[in-house]
Amino acid sequence: MIGRLPPDRAPWVIPALLALVVLVFFVVWPLASLLFKSVTDFRTGAFTLEGFKTFIEDPTYRTAFFNTVKLGIISSCGSMLIGAPLAYVVTRFDFPGKGVVAILPLATIVVPDIVVSQAWLMMLGNNGLLRNVLSMVGIELPSFYGWFGMIYTMILNDYTYAYIGMLAALKAIDGTIEEAATNLGASDLRRLLTVTLPVLAPAILINTMVVFTLAVDNFSIPMILGGRVDVLSSLTYMTFLSEMGGDPKMQSVLAVVSVILVGVVLFVQKVIVERKTYQMQQGRAPRPVKAQGPLAVVLTTMALFFVAVSLIPAIIVMVGAFTQSSGPVMNYGTFTLENLGRALRQAPGPILNSLMLASVAAVAGTAFACIVSYLIVKKRMMVVSLLDYVVMLPLAISGTVLGIALIQTYNSGYIVLTGTWIIMAAAYFVRKVPFSIRSASGALYSIPESIEEASINLGVSPIRSFFKVILPIMKPAILAAAILMWVTSLSEISATIVLYFGGMETMPIEMYRQIDAGYLARASAYGVILMVIILVPVYLAIRFLKLDLFSVRGR
Amino acid sequence: MADITLDRVHKQYGSVTIIDQLSLQVKHGEFFTLLGPSGCGKTTLLRMIAGFIQPDQGRILIGEQDVTRLPAHKRETGMVFQDYALFPDKTVFDNVAYGLRVRKVPAEQIRQRVHRILERVELSHLPDRYPGELSGGQRQRVALARALVIEPRILLMDEPLSNLDAKLRIQMRDVIRELQLELQITTIFVTHDQEEALSMSDRIALLRKGRIDQLDDPESLYQKPVSSYAADFIGAANLVKISGMQPHGQGFQVSVPGGSVWVAGPCNHKQVCIAVRPEHVIISPVGINSELGSIPATVVFRRYLGFKVTYCLRLADGSTINADTPASQDPRFEPSTQVHVSFGRQARLVSTSEQQA
Repeated sequence: MIGRLPPDRAPWVIPALLALVVLVFFVVWPLASLLFKSVTDFRTGAFTLEGFKTFIEDPTYRTAFFNTVKLGIISSCGSMLIGAPLAYVVTRFDFPGKGVVAILPLATIVVPDIVVSQAWLMMLGNNGLLRNVLSMVGIELPSFYGWFGMIYTMILNDYTYAYIGMLAALKAIDGTIEEAATNLGASDLRRLLTVTLPVLAPAILINTMVVFTLAVDNFSIPMILGGRVDVLSSLTYMTFLSEMGGDPKMQSVLAVVSVILVGVVLFVQKVIVERKTYQMQQGRAPRPVKAQGPLAVVLTTMALFFVAVSLIPAIIVMVGAFTQSSGPVMNYGTFTLENLGRALRQAPGPILNSLMLASVAAVAGTAFACIVSYLIVKKRMMVVSLLDYVVMLPLAISGTVLGIALIQTYNSGYIVLTGTWIIMAAAYFVRKVPFSIRSASGALYSIPESIEEASINLGVSPIRSFFKVILPIMKPAILAAAILMWVTSLSEISATIVLYFGGMETMPIEMYRQIDAGYLARASAYGVILMVIILVPVYLAIRFLKLDLFSVRGR
Repeated sequence: MADITLDRVHKQYGSVTIIDQLSLQVKHGEFFTLLGPSGCGKTTLLRMIAGFIQPDQGRILIGEQDVTRLPAHKRETGMVFQDYALFPDKTVFDNVAYGLRVRKVPAEQIRQRVHRILERVELSHLPDRYPGELSGGQRQRVALARALVIEPRILLMDEPLSNLDAKLRIQMRDVIRELQLELQITTIFVTHDQEEALSMSDRIALLRKGRIDQLDDPESLYQKPVSSYAADFIGAANLVKISGMQPHGQGFQVSVPGGSVWVAGPCNHKQVCIAVRPEHVIISPVGINSELGSIPATVVFRRYLGFKVTYCLRLADGSTINADTPASQDPRFEPSTQVHVSFGRQARLVSTSEQQA
């Protein structure tokens, strides 16, 4: 087969195969063995559907499934109901203070969801600050644990993703179609409902589904705030703990169900992307209108409110980190450096572990993404098409599921990775690399073939041309992808919770353990350190390298 | 001695033949143009010479050397791409110096040579600009300088002017041609623009479906097209169907719709038609009694174009032809006027075999 390939493809077959081997090792094989274990009797090794029968018959599992769907639908629709109008207002109006909404995309990266969960717990949980204040004026809130806390926090955590997605869609609209509607006599409202909304419908659906998959994947919010309400991610983890050392059937079944759920949603999303996105002329988006009078006041208030809501978690955790506490009781109004001192001096392990793991994953992932995206964009052949599919597979696997798949597959046999840091770094690598590949591919698609040929024509061999010409052009996109991979690995928890072992706790794990034990001040200290470590490279990248970390920024 | 030789070069993708057993030779210092519509194989041919596409059969020689199997980066050709392909992250200077640095030319010499070529293309004042900060014409000149600075054996240009606006395109023709004459560099130029081809080339190969339809100097190609394809592609030509022909004097008496006309010979094609350019169609109110003969026609409409006027005329069989007259001699015929047309001595019988749709 290699003999029949054109000469410019042949040298790339080996790298393509190597990349495929890496993915088979860390994704395909673990997923396959998970599926295998879900339909195999632990003792006899015979085929059985016992596990799936239990899943359907036992209300614990069944309810967790429906709770997951319910949580996903409510929080994705809720996020869209906030995110879409916000994006619309930001693209269509100029109003005082509009600039601050640029912080929103940043907040999704800098404030990890475990910080968000913890902060709202400190505000609205039993004995929470805001709860007590409201109680003094006679307003009694329902218990924060359960649906209220989960949905509330999930929406506040995820609406920014809906906002970012809709912002991009709104900016891509050709303004002249709206002018045409106005010209044909449509009122503003009618135009919005009959022209703008229908054109945006695919984007709304797609981004709602993105938030849905985020909600299914989320681990920290259901674990910290879920109370007695089980969802797939928390139940899978609890089952994993209870089955430790025994029959892994039910964790496998739950994991498979979760993969199917996310897989179906992603598939539908792909179909919509392919069928329903309208061919639109590349036009200029309508110019924003300057809001005046009461409208300006309303819009400014709204923008400031949402930015505040997104930043509150960071502030609360900051306050918590410097507050004295006796056990679980926070003495607000006091000041101490003890919490931070403890985290930095006595227990710096999690910080160092997080930095090490994230660095390994980011370096390996970036190198991998460069080569694979180059293959996908420029060197199409059969093995590369296969690679293209496999590399996006991790998007359908939630963190907890990936963790369980890896730990089950490599805890015995020829290759034992369970209980090593390698398996943790591998999980980060696998989870984040699809995003890096997307970003690198985007950059590559915009580089015409002729650039490379110009270099070859001037006497540089094809492989050297890649390094001398293509890589430098891709550098900004690669750097941005590397930084994003690094910071998102730092806040990863849903796979880590399954894979970590004594001595390899990461910052989010340490936070989770301290929150679970009620030591909110100590958890806050790690939260602050985590946010600072994330913020520094992100700030430097934006300020000095002028990198576009998010394809869209409020401008 | 030929600088570039293509010897029965063949390329096909699946069952589609792109280049069909094509042979040609380009002389030293010649400006040679590959002309044709999109899909005729001209770019494929150029990319084969550059080494980006491998022919299935045949040989490619540069000078005496067989380069058919030589990798693209060892061929020492200078190529100018349609989209210029400037390295966006490098300055004008670094773009031009790229090929010299690869060749390990000493830094001081690089500086001098880059400066000299930039001066030649009138860009020596902008060495520190990035491609994004240049106009289309300036980018074009950087691309030209980058290809020429390595002193390649041959210069290859792939529709280099197609991304420029009309005025600049005409300006750049002169820049390129002047530079080429000065450096005496053998050049292959690909274009679909016949005017570009006529105005710049020493010789033109008109391509059609992977074959050479006609290879000639610009004058011959325009005045003596061999096929209806060439007549139609180079300039504008009326193709008039014929229903019979008899040898007569130095040419033929040819039956056409509404009568017969005389066309100069010789002719050894089997299937032929008359090709006559609009400026060689003569309109008169009454039939002229000359040896050329004339046929009746009806004016469909008159098109005023400033320096000339074009009449659209309907012949007896319902087909239409165009006739040009200088605006100063416009007889001002109204639509529906009955007139007579005759074809000038420049009218030719051309082959219609394999007539394309």
